[in-house]
Amino acid sequence: MLPRTLYVRPSGLSEALEALEEHGPGARVIAGGTDLIPSMRARTQTPSCLVDIQDLGLDTITRTDTFVRIGAACTFSELARSSIIRELFPVLREAALAIGAVQTRNLATIGGNLSSAVPSCDSAPALYVLKARLTLISLRQQRVIPVEEFFQGPRRTVLAPAEILAWIDIPLPPHRSGAAFLKIGRRKALTLAIVNAAASVCAAKDGSTVEDATISLGAVAPSPLRARKAEAVLRGYMWSEELVKEAAEVASGETSPISDIRASADYRRELCKVLVRRALMQAWERALGGDQR
Amino acid sequence: MKQAIRLVVNGTEHSVEVQPSDLLVDVLRDTLRLTGTKKGCGTGECGACTVLLDGKPVNSCLLLAIRCEGRQITTIEGLGTPDSLHILQKAFIENGAVQCGFCAPGMLLSAKALLDENPAPNEMDIRQGLAGNICRCTGYVKIVKAVSSAARTMSGAEGGGR
Repeated sequence: MLPRTLYVRPSGLSEALEALEEHGPGARVIAGGTDLIPSMRARTQTPSCLVDIQDLGLDTITRTDTFVRIGAACTFSELARSSIIRELFPVLREAALAIGAVQTRNLATIGGNLSSAVPSCDSAPALYVLKARLTLISLRQQRVIPVEEFFQGPRRTVLAPAEILAWIDIPLPPHRSGAAFLKIGRRKALTLAIVNAAASVCAAKDGSTVEDATISLGAVAPSPLRARKAEAVLRGYMWSEELVKEAAEVASGETSPISDIRASADYRRELCKVLVRRALMQAWERALGGDQR
Repeated sequence: MKQAIRLVVNGTEHSVEVQPSDLLVDVLRDTLRLTGTKKGCGTGECGACTVLLDGKPVNSCLLLAIRCEGRQITTIEGLGTPDSLHILQKAFIENGAVQCGFCAPGMLLSAKALLDENPAPNEMDIRQGLAGNICRCTGYVKIVKAVSSAARTMSGAEGGGR
């Protein structure tokens, strides 16, 4: 039995924002519900009103000349199935398929995954390295923020009461760039990450200098993090396995993992080195056109 | 406060009164008496409560019934009948893919959705398609075999389906 709550199912964004405003700070958006419903069952969340956003048209993926817009209510199954995502952002497809299992991916949404803001959030590292921007909308304002400014710690985000994460914009990938996502959990499905990692690289025209690199790690800090020192190790240098290894070591040093039921902090630090190295290698291969799938 | 909603289950429209907090699995089992859908963990991890929502498998323990108005729900009762079993159900029996039976409704519906999307899955496709369904008896080998054998039968049968 779940705690009793009110329920509204608005048919448009402004109606949804009004409902959130009207029902006050106890009102919660429900998208997939895969996190919210178990939290209600455990009584860690007891919303006074659920605002269902399934009819707001926020479940589409559209491509413009410069970016791809993903509605926050887009499910991970839809993401994984999308030909736009498959072609342009295999890194995001990999993250989508690393989440839950078929049933959960058919319900869970990318906006919900971000808004739950757990440290192991699988979509975040992929969105970090793709330099995604989030649009947050309330009755009073509409603001756009880089995805890495969204999180404020475990289960805390910058979302204000009565504000909705509406969509996610990802710039089209530059030429000679590639990205990859990797996750290690205790098993291959329906599990939280022990560590997850994503990397993107952009090769210079010579095909051997690293023009740009972005590295992100999850489940090793209060929020998903950018390994900026490790990125600086790569940027502007000639690509080599030794350089990648060094960057992976530096990235591991930027984390602050805890020991919990899934793994020890030491194990997580070791995993960081392995996953960052592998993600970089795969990203580089894709940047040079070896593997776009 | 209870609200009247219309639920379309296995092609039949039902008028039911629900609390907004009522889960689909409970409404199916307790109100509509469709007890083929099982309730296991209640947190979306075991897959025993799997139903199809607009043809896609979902955990009915994570879904509020009130959110399902206007959507098509398929439960195990809609897959086949004792007199006319679905090819997947026959394959489960023939391959000994059922022991205690608690996971079977969910397994079958996940398998149905998999074959609808991918009529010729390999073993990895089947294992990934069923990754959200836990079986504590069989060790999965016979279940995977059954799905594979059903896929072959369906692709051989004219028009597929039942």
